Amino acid sequence: MKLEVRDVSKRYAIPVLDGVSLQAAKGEFVCLLGPNGCGKTTLLRILGGLEAPSAGEVRFDDRPVSYDGASDLHVGVVFQEDRLLPWLTLADNVALVLRAQGRDRAARRATARRYLRFVGLEGFEDYYPNRVSGGMRQRAAIARALAIDPDLLLMDEPFGSLDAQNRRIMQSEVKRIWAETGKTIVFVTHAIEEAVSIGTTLVMMSARPSRVRELIRNDGGRDRHALVDHLNQSIMEEVLRQQSRTVRGS
Amino acid sequence: MTSPASRWRDRLRLPSLVVLLVVLVVWEAVARRYGAYVMPSPGAVLRGLVEVVATGDVWKHAGASLYRIAIGFGAALVLAVLMGLASFLWRPARIAVADVVTVLNSTSVFVWIVVSLIWFGLTNMAPIFTTFMITLPVVASNVVEGVASVDRRLLEMGQVYRLSGWEKFRSIVIPSTIPHLVAGMKVGFGLALKVSVVAEIFGVTSGIGYIMNYSREILATQMVFVWALVMVAIMLVIDKLLFESLSRRVERWR
Repeated sequence: MKLEVRDVSKRYAIPVLDGVSLQAAKGEFVCLLGPNGCGKTTLLRILGGLEAPSAGEVRFDDRPVSYDGASDLHVGVVFQEDRLLPWLTLADNVALVLRAQGRDRAARRATARRYLRFVGLEGFEDYYPNRVSGGMRQRAAIARALAIDPDLLLMDEPFGSLDAQNRRIMQSEVKRIWAETGKTIVFVTHAIEEAVSIGTTLVMMSARPSRVRELIRNDGGRDRHALVDHLNQSIMEEVLRQQSRTVRGS
Repeated sequence: MTSPASRWRDRLRLPSLVVLLVVLVVWEAVARRYGAYVMPSPGAVLRGLVEVVATGDVWKHAGASLYRIAIGFGAALVLAVLMGLASFLWRPARIAVADVVTVLNSTSVFVWIVVSLIWFGLTNMAPIFTTFMITLPVVASNVVEGVASVDRRLLEMGQVYRLSGWEKFRSIVIPSTIPHLVAGMKVGFGLALKVSVVAEIFGVTSGIGYIMNYSREILATQMVFVWALVMVAIMLVIDKLLFESLSRRVERWR
């Protein structure tokens, strides 16, 4: 699945995205970086078909994404919050999204259990979300996203609410899941070390209204520390630029 | 703090028992001073209570009242759920339902009693209709509030995973509304019991309201107190047995 974003703009009351273009090949792990409030989540929502761009288009394998709900593209999304239904067990939460694919109950349950096992939740299938930890809930949300066998997996700062230790565990989990499934992943984060350690393509966004400031192929050819320093410097510049714009604008 | 002894003391509700004792003493004193017509003694009320249970009168009249409540309150429940459904599906309905609920909530019980006597005469329908009209806005406002409080982020999750409209309704909207519905039912039932009894003063020949008024007419004041106690007992039993277990059931995932 080749992902292509062409000149995507989005404005609400103010312009948020201003001509974002980027490309990623099938199986890439794309990390979206940028200052807070620069529109990373908005871009992700446009990729996932949840919101239409004001201008520009998104194409997968040369087919444009439609925003009228008629698209046959399978996109799995892991949100900042787990968004599990608290009244369903973990297995039922995963099985629920398989209904759209019209499979029978037994097949749905079997698939749900398989993916929960895959993300390390074996034995917790029949727990309600409120009975397990935040990290486990996010694992279940990942299992739900994988269960529909998505063409594209979108993750919006999925570990932002986890403590440092759980965050590291989940990062290596996602790395493993990506390696084993070969999914194309777009991952929003503001943690630069995280992005450098797991991303194959790093997209640094500029201050709002944002464009792509820099697109880096992270194929291991560059020195990690130098890359982290470079990105830290870029993000500081953009944060300062965004602050000065906000001050002038208000 | 939570030694076994203090837990037992909590369970016995000692402070309330002390209050009860004081009430009984004052009650007995007042009864002796003013006589059985104004204030029957606690002993007389207790004897009356034993009597209505022994003769089966308690089942006859409580049954008649509960039957009317079941119909009037049941119908209110059904309509309230439909109003909640409409307000979820259609924005104009949300506005209309909110305003109708506000108006109904501001209408006195007595209005519905008088109107239902005019419309239905001295029949079973008068208390049923009154109960219906009074409990409808209470349950409906809870259901509408529940529907409005459905987490948009969960609905968006449903959109991402292409759940059908029905599937979203069944899996997301209904489960988030049910705790509100149960809370509304609990308040609504309490109100139904109080209101239907008032409506039973007129026109019917069974039910707790009827028998209380009849007892007053034949100067059997102790029976008025007996039936008041029966009402309290019904309320407590249904609250404990029905609504508490219902709440626990629908909230078992919390």
